[in-house]
Amino acid sequence: MWKTEATGVLHVEPAARQCLPPCQIKCPINEDIQRTNVLISLLPDDIDLAKEGILQIGNYLYEKNPFFNICGYICGICELECNYLKKGGAIRRRLLKRFLSDVYTEHLKELREFKVVKDKEKVAVIGGGPGGLMCGYHLSRKGYDVTVVEASDRLGGALWLVPEYRLPRDVLQTTVDNLARVGGLDVRYNSRLGTANLTLERLKDEGYQAAFLATGLPYPRVLTFERQSLEGQDLAGVMYGHTYLYEVSHGNIPSDYFKGKRVIVTGGGNVAFDVGRSARRHGAEVTIVALEREDKDHRDGIPADEEEIRGAWEEGIRIIYSRGVRRIIGQNGRFKGIDCPACVSVFDESGFNPKFDCSNCIDLEGDVLVITVGQAPDIALLRKEGLLDEQGRLDVDHLTLQSRKKPWIFIGGDVRRVGFMVEAMGEGLVAAESIDRYLRGVDMKEGRRKDYEAYQIPLRKDYKREPEIPWMPPEDRMHFQMFEKGFTLEEAIEEARRCVTCGPCLSCKACVSIGFQKSLSPVEVDIARCSGCGHCVYVCNYYSARLVSSGGKVVSETDMFRCKSCGMCVVACPSQARSMVGDGTKEKIAAVYSSLV
Amino acid sequence: MSKYKPKLVCFSCKFSWGYLTDEDALSPEIENWVPLICTGKIDATHMLEAFKAGADGILILGCPEGNCHYQDGNYEARKRVYLVRSLLESFGIEKERIRIELSTDPEGKRIRESVDDMKRKLAKLGPAKKKSEEVTKARGGK
Amino acid sequence: MGKPKVAICWLGSCGGCDETIVDINEVLLRVAGAVDIVLWPVAMDFKYDSVKRMKNGEIAVSVVSGHVRNSEQEEIAKLLRKKSQLILAFGACACFGGTPGLANLTTKTDILNWVYRDAPTVVNPDGNYPQAAFRVNGEELTLPEFYGRVFPLNAIIDVDYYLPGCPPPPYLVMYALSGMLENKLPARGSTLAPHRALCDSCKRNKSKPDRISIREIKRIHEVEADPDVCFLAQGIICLGPATRDGCGESCMNINIPCRGCFGPVEGVEDSGAKFISTVASILDAESDEEVVRIVSQMIDPVGYLYRFLLPASILQKKG
Repeated sequence: MWKTEATGVLHVEPAARQCLPPCQIKCPINEDIQRTNVLISLLPDDIDLAKEGILQIGNYLYEKNPFFNICGYICGICELECNYLKKGGAIRRRLLKRFLSDVYTEHLKELREFKVVKDKEKVAVIGGGPGGLMCGYHLSRKGYDVTVVEASDRLGGALWLVPEYRLPRDVLQTTVDNLARVGGLDVRYNSRLGTANLTLERLKDEGYQAAFLATGLPYPRVLTFERQSLEGQDLAGVMYGHTYLYEVSHGNIPSDYFKGKRVIVTGGGNVAFDVGRSARRHGAEVTIVALEREDKDHRDGIPADEEEIRGAWEEGIRIIYSRGVRRIIGQNGRFKGIDCPACVSVFDESGFNPKFDCSNCIDLEGDVLVITVGQAPDIALLRKEGLLDEQGRLDVDHLTLQSRKKPWIFIGGDVRRVGFMVEAMGEGLVAAESIDRYLRGVDMKEGRRKDYEAYQIPLRKDYKREPEIPWMPPEDRMHFQMFEKGFTLEEAIEEARRCVTCGPCLSCKACVSIGFQKSLSPVEVDIARCSGCGHCVYVCNYYSARLVSSGGKVVSETDMFRCKSCGMCVVACPSQARSMVGDGTKEKIAAVYSSLV
Repeated sequence: MSKYKPKLVCFSCKFSWGYLTDEDALSPEIENWVPLICTGKIDATHMLEAFKAGADGILILGCPEGNCHYQDGNYEARKRVYLVRSLLESFGIEKERIRIELSTDPEGKRIRESVDDMKRKLAKLGPAKKKSEEVTKARGGK
Repeated sequence: MGKPKVAICWLGSCGGCDETIVDINEVLLRVAGAVDIVLWPVAMDFKYDSVKRMKNGEIAVSVVSGHVRNSEQEEIAKLLRKKSQLILAFGACACFGGTPGLANLTTKTDILNWVYRDAPTVVNPDGNYPQAAFRVNGEELTLPEFYGRVFPLNAIIDVDYYLPGCPPPPYLVMYALSGMLENKLPARGSTLAPHRALCDSCKRNKSKPDRISIREIKRIHEVEADPDVCFLAQGIICLGPATRDGCGESCMNINIPCRGCFGPVEGVEDSGAKFISTVASILDAESDEEVVRIVSQMIDPVGYLYRFLLPASILQKKG
């Protein structure tokens, strides 16, 4: 079984000329998707033998991304940019990582702590969610003494709100617990900033030289209509989606909680669908009412993922598009229904600015109203800590995430800008780099802005369709187990094989790391022999060989950022004008021919 | 007169053949073996040179259809093989002396089997050099 | 000192190479004035004996055309080598063996049988075959021995310079001759023609599409070829990409694809084999059946790829 060496020379170089495959550009932490796809495709097809390889791949991913196994359940942003999307379906990277997680999550318990001497400054991370943990993990690896100040009694932040039929609890718990252990993070639980004299100044006095504030969005937004908060949100039977999911995550909601009840969920984002589908599993008859329209390509298109919408629809949830809530109707202190005008537009030039046609209203009756229209930060705390500008917004440098009010404070994640788990993690990484530079007295901005160049899909004769992912039939899904069938080893190998490695060799080197070749040989063109016939261009699948004008003649050249050192152009050249420097194939063949047995 | 043992040159692609086994462990079993990063690197010139060097046959083990790591290398190799076979017929070298197999064998166990199978077929055909010399043999010491 | 001595001799040649020397027209007169031609069987009345009497190295340049496949040709080649400082292999036959080289696909026996017995137009009731020696009236008559294969010149003697082409075009002949006489020559063993392939100067090269991908191979007589478009893009096999430049596209200009008479590009040993890899890259065929089908449309691959070059090919070359 091969061994992939993940250190030193064989480590992937930071993007030279900022060229990456589109999936890695889209990933907020630029994970080495291509390299690990290639390694997965070369696993043995026996699960016991493959385990060794899976652990190697997992270890490699874990170095930069200690949440990679969770990505396998709830991320997949990279798939939106996959070049294969238009050729038969994006590579199912999320399921590949879920496959790795099946083996690796257990292994997390056996990972050893980093052997790093903590001889650098003390840094505080406020908020133990994915953003904060990512920052703390990477700073700790660099030798900083990191303390995570977590308000609740568990690490993981908003990840706990993801329903278990999408992310099993034990995966989350195992991941965060072991992350703290492996990363050498000191965690202070039940320590909410702003209570019991716990302030940023206090932390400074305790010796923390820098802090990353990643407190997220702990509060639900209230329901408003034309910028006024609606009356009736305190009626019995009205609750907030955020609160409901919080209680579910603590195991406080029995499985028949909504049995026989008609539950209306307002909202069109993924969280609204998490709420709706959870309520369905708690026995409810669910209707989701969204401001947005069904057509996802439209500016006003519903933001929830297609998979969520499809799942909800299969589970018998009714979805009403393009309707707002004008009035919450109660009776005897109890919720009875809502009054819904048609929403004619959601966004305009000024941004979120819904417009309604109140002559077109419908009444929806229900027993429970779950308001899921977004989350809000702890604005009072942020104001008290002096982090807001005159407009009441966080005053943060976008590139470095440094607070413009207090230079030793860095802010990122949902609290700064709402996004996905990996986006928060990306900001955690940025903050870690910024804090490191800040404490080392190094220029904060140099080399930080990265403008990436995306590569197109290589040419090939046949493209394959993506595999179908079976879901449990909806009638069998009324519980909180995973309903999506993950990949078997065989399926994972086949899907990883489908990846056509769009990105440059410099940001991959999978083949070198497992010893297929000693190095990637650059291709040289002898222009004294090149006649500009173009055959190298015909045979190159990577748009690397091309014809250019040089001194009045047409000759070919190689773009080494696109070249894969496959050697096809060298063979196809009828003038033998191309050669691969340092490639030993010719010599190997000659050696065999000179001593034929 | 010793029994004729055909000389077979075997090219194989690392991405589909034997990548789960250490190359050094496999190579004593496979004579005249050239593992490559892609069968697309095999030039038609290499194939003719093999026969010139005294080989009786060539076996090329490439990746399955649609599975080439470099997209179409295995297809290119196949086209070259068929063209070379067509050329070699005129030289009196039988088509069966070059074979290309597009399949996968991660452990590498089947490489030896394929080599042995081809050697059996080559044994029946006899040495390649003699045949082509028959055609081009001159009289009078030339 | 006297004028430098030059010999122009034909071995297994059709005469076209001598014709091309004549075609340098007025320049020939200047050349003839600048040198002493000591042997030119097709044009002048010198005998081999006079050459035999010369000192070794007395001839400055011997321009030798034609291949070697009988004992007389070998003898003359060796004689000129002894007596000359420089040997110029002139024309495709001398450089590579030429079209007669295709005879290397048959045996001497088969050739003689066909010519003297089996061809439909043969009338040879007594079965007379040429013999190397034959006694008649007490005397022995000899004929040069016919060898079993065609050899390029460098298989028989050391060659200093090569000038390929069938025949070489007059302007290259002029450059070669003047270079040799003025002693302005590249290293020994060089070919006195451009280094790059034909595509470098071919007008049709610009018309090539971004990708050539043909599903049919057509023969030149089967279609009306577009005179401005690359032959390969039209599915017609043209050896231009693998053939040395220098002929002035004499065939392309009359809408015939290149047949490769200038031989391989500088640094390539066997252009036929190389071209197989090149042509494979433009064939649109993946499955077994598709590849078999399109390859079968290349009728007579040896004839296409080695029309002028067979004796110098990998499998036929000596050593």
